[in-house]
Amino acid sequence: MYFSNYIIPIIIIFLLVYSIFKKINTYDTFVKGAKGAFDLVLSIFPYIATIMLMVALMRISGLMDILVGVLAPVFNFLGIPTEVTELVLLRPFTGSGSYAILNDIYNVYGADTYIGRCASVIMGTSETVFYVATVYFSQTSVKKLSYAIPLALLCSLFGTIIACLVCKIL
Amino acid sequence: MMLISVVALIFTDPEIIITEMTNTSLEVLQLCVELMAIYTIWMGLLEIVDASGLGKKLAKLLSPLIRWLFKVKDPETTKYIALNMSSNMLGLGNASTPMGIKAMQKLDPKTGAITPAMIMLLIINSTAIQFLPTTVIGLRASSGSLSPSDILIPTILATMATCVFGILMAKLCEKIFFKNKPSSQSGGENISFKNYIQKPISNTKQNKK
Repeated sequence: MYFSNYIIPIIIIFLLVYSIFKKINTYDTFVKGAKGAFDLVLSIFPYIATIMLMVALMRISGLMDILVGVLAPVFNFLGIPTEVTELVLLRPFTGSGSYAILNDIYNVYGADTYIGRCASVIMGTSETVFYVATVYFSQTSVKKLSYAIPLALLCSLFGTIIACLVCKIL
Repeated sequence: MMLISVVALIFTDPEIIITEMTNTSLEVLQLCVELMAIYTIWMGLLEIVDASGLGKKLAKLLSPLIRWLFKVKDPETTKYIALNMSSNMLGLGNASTPMGIKAMQKLDPKTGAITPAMIMLLIINSTAIQFLPTTVIGLRASSGSLSPSDILIPTILATMATCVFGILMAKLCEKIFFKNKPSSQSGGENISFKNYIQKPISNTKQNKK
């Protein structure tokens, strides 16, 4: 697993060597690109803030718990253990929040149990759909997202089911 | 949804609402500062990729795939999509976001209507093939797992299946929703749970005006 630690340095070294080889002014180019970061983050900030506020409100108001309770039997039917339901529900909204839940799952059930492994694979197959959609579409003229979000959520659900299945087999 | 939550809170615990909202805003601000730091690095490097012509090479390499998935020919757009996809595969989620935003802007028809290509990009990003789930492995190791990387193969299998499923579904939906309509119209009127799902997005969109 140590290999993964080397990927980023290798990419960067390769890039720099390649740009020297291509006779590019590395410093100026980097600065030019980096300049854009500030504006970009500034322009996506309100969108992220709104979506995160909504999630926080849902969690403290107890709506999330109600949703977990309602959906648990459905998920069970699809082969998703009840223990990971909260993770599955929160995952589309918040990255850091779902990592916190994942950590809880490890602490309660153990990382090497079926539940623990299931949760790990679910994290790998799913994405923070709402967050990604908000950020990606915030800089476009699009007003109606059509079927984009339901489809993305459906794919996440499919990924979750597959994740539980694969964990059962392997 | 925000409204329902606030109403529910009035019955349960009205005091914590402002504290909680402020805390969340603060968290988001913190997240944005972190993002800014990360984006600075990646957007700087991206500019080098761009200037050195590596981006074009990568785009050329992936262009058959991208042409099939997105039906785009514009080399600039292809380049950003190629960069977005390849950084996603390496598990560099934070690097892929700025490129994804740029690709999305290039795909934007500027008419306010969504295109199949934009949906495809969202689906690919939300099913995100991940070959190295580094964060999860790190978490497993710190919670005392005997073999933290044990989940690697299941993850790769599941994520690939999901991605293929996503692409197929996106293609299918494209056929259904965009078939009889001129491309300038969005085909979202007949989705039943649209109202439930789209609230957060439409809220944020309205603020934009």
